[in-house]
Amino acid sequence: MMKKFINKPEAFVDEMLEGILAAHPDQLRNVADDLRCIVRADAPRTGKVALATGGGSGHLPLFLGYVGQGMLDGCAVGGVFQSPSSEQALEVTKAIDGGKGVLYIYGNYGGDIINFDMAAEMAEMEDIRVETYVAGEDVASAPKGEEGKRRGVAGIFYVYKCAGAKAEEGADLDEVKRVAELAGANVRTMGVALSPVIVPEVGKPSFTIGDGEMEIGMGIHGEPGIRRGKLLTADEVVQEMMDQIMPDLPYEKGDEVSVLMNGLGATPKEELYVAYRKVAEILKGKGISVVKVYVGEFATSLEMTGFSISMLKLNDELKGLLMKGARTPFFEQAAL
Amino acid sequence: MLTIETAKRILHTLNETMAQNQDRLIEIDSAIGDGDLGLTMSKAFRTADEQMADADEDDPGMLFAKAGMAMAKAAPSTMGSLVATGFMKGGKAVKGTPDWDAADVATFFRAFADGIMERGKTRPGNKTIVDVLDPVATALEEAAGRGADPAGVAQAATEAAARGEEAARNMTSQHGKAAIYREQTVGKQDPGAVAGMLIIQGFFSVF
Repeated sequence: MMKKFINKPEAFVDEMLEGILAAHPDQLRNVADDLRCIVRADAPRTGKVALATGGGSGHLPLFLGYVGQGMLDGCAVGGVFQSPSSEQALEVTKAIDGGKGVLYIYGNYGGDIINFDMAAEMAEMEDIRVETYVAGEDVASAPKGEEGKRRGVAGIFYVYKCAGAKAEEGADLDEVKRVAELAGANVRTMGVALSPVIVPEVGKPSFTIGDGEMEIGMGIHGEPGIRRGKLLTADEVVQEMMDQIMPDLPYEKGDEVSVLMNGLGATPKEELYVAYRKVAEILKGKGISVVKVYVGEFATSLEMTGFSISMLKLNDELKGLLMKGARTPFFEQAAL
Repeated sequence: MLTIETAKRILHTLNETMAQNQDRLIEIDSAIGDGDLGLTMSKAFRTADEQMADADEDDPGMLFAKAGMAMAKAAPSTMGSLVATGFMKGGKAVKGTPDWDAADVATFFRAFADGIMERGKTRPGNKTIVDVLDPVATALEEAAGRGADPAGVAQAATEAAARGEEAARNMTSQHGKAAIYREQTVGKQDPGAVAGMLIIQGFFSVF
């Protein structure tokens, strides 16, 4: 049975957006008379490369939650787990272009790619230069060697953060894209889920996970993972996830990393810290130093129980950009 | 053989063709898809015709590209986006040519088909619109190569479209909702291929 704080299922996304705009009028506004075209309140920023993202709803803070100073300029918002339209992406593009071009950064999902590619093509016809970085770092979604098929999940946060900081410095479009690619190439993520989600307009779970079971590697829309099995202890689950993440990049002795412990919607922070305790122990044992840890909700899947671990391997450039300040409705960081 | 006036007449004809065939497309699409293709196509081409009829544009390629943009906005479904992509890619490929010859028409449809293949991540043989457009592009290249007159070019294209649609019936769907039915789609018309054939018939009926 569906138990949610909603009014009408079909109004879920738009009413969520009305709430966000009402809460953060100093930071966000919508354009083109469409609630689903969200941009920074001060867009366009003249002389700065603009960053746009987009994707389905149901993942807050993804995607629109990172629109703000030091990160993104605009976001096209789709229905729950659905791509926004190409027109919405185009409207956002036009509203944020400050004359130095626009970089699209979004996750590797078919519908999003079609619509953002269409938007890029239409923007080009209106003389706006657009470049694209498609994020995909979920190691469970495709094997090593087939990185291009991987789904984009929580690790896209790092791509937004580093590319956004680079754009804020006044870098040109090619430079900002290079940083997005660099961050994306150095981040890996893996998730685990204990319970399914209910899309409001569907009204029932789209899949089931049995009592006492977990699914390692499940995607943020419930895409199948690597294996399903009996729920293990936090330490055992983390060990299994880290055993997949570590050799994939690989992360090696002497590396500096940032770690993102991401709750999928219904997992308490207490459990995220229990899990991080083990991550820290593993990294210390491998001789890898941790520079900055983020623990909280960064990319969720409605009320899914579960979490993901993302790691960004740092070099001097990425480290410097990661430490820059940012202020968005869902993420604030003083310069470190 | 194709100027800005011809291009506008083509868009108007395509609008009429899709309106006349709306129910037929709905019926074919309901058998193996989700049944909305008739509405998608009639809406896309009606919008393109209405917005381009009085457009201040003297470049046929740009007119078709802008028509594609109008379609993308009016009909943002997968097939709507793909057909829109075809017009945008095709139009841009022949941009800057005020009066197209047969080779330009071939270039348009080659870029049209390639654009859909690239964006839809498909190729010939998967029971899609591409199974009509790809042989049409080849037939147009051959017709241009042998110096066919406009009537001959149009005949080559429409015959290739009909053959392509016929061949697609015996293929197995690999994309979209139809892919769920797989083998059950063999022997049935593919709604995308039929839409492609209608586009070709409408396009070349003005010559």
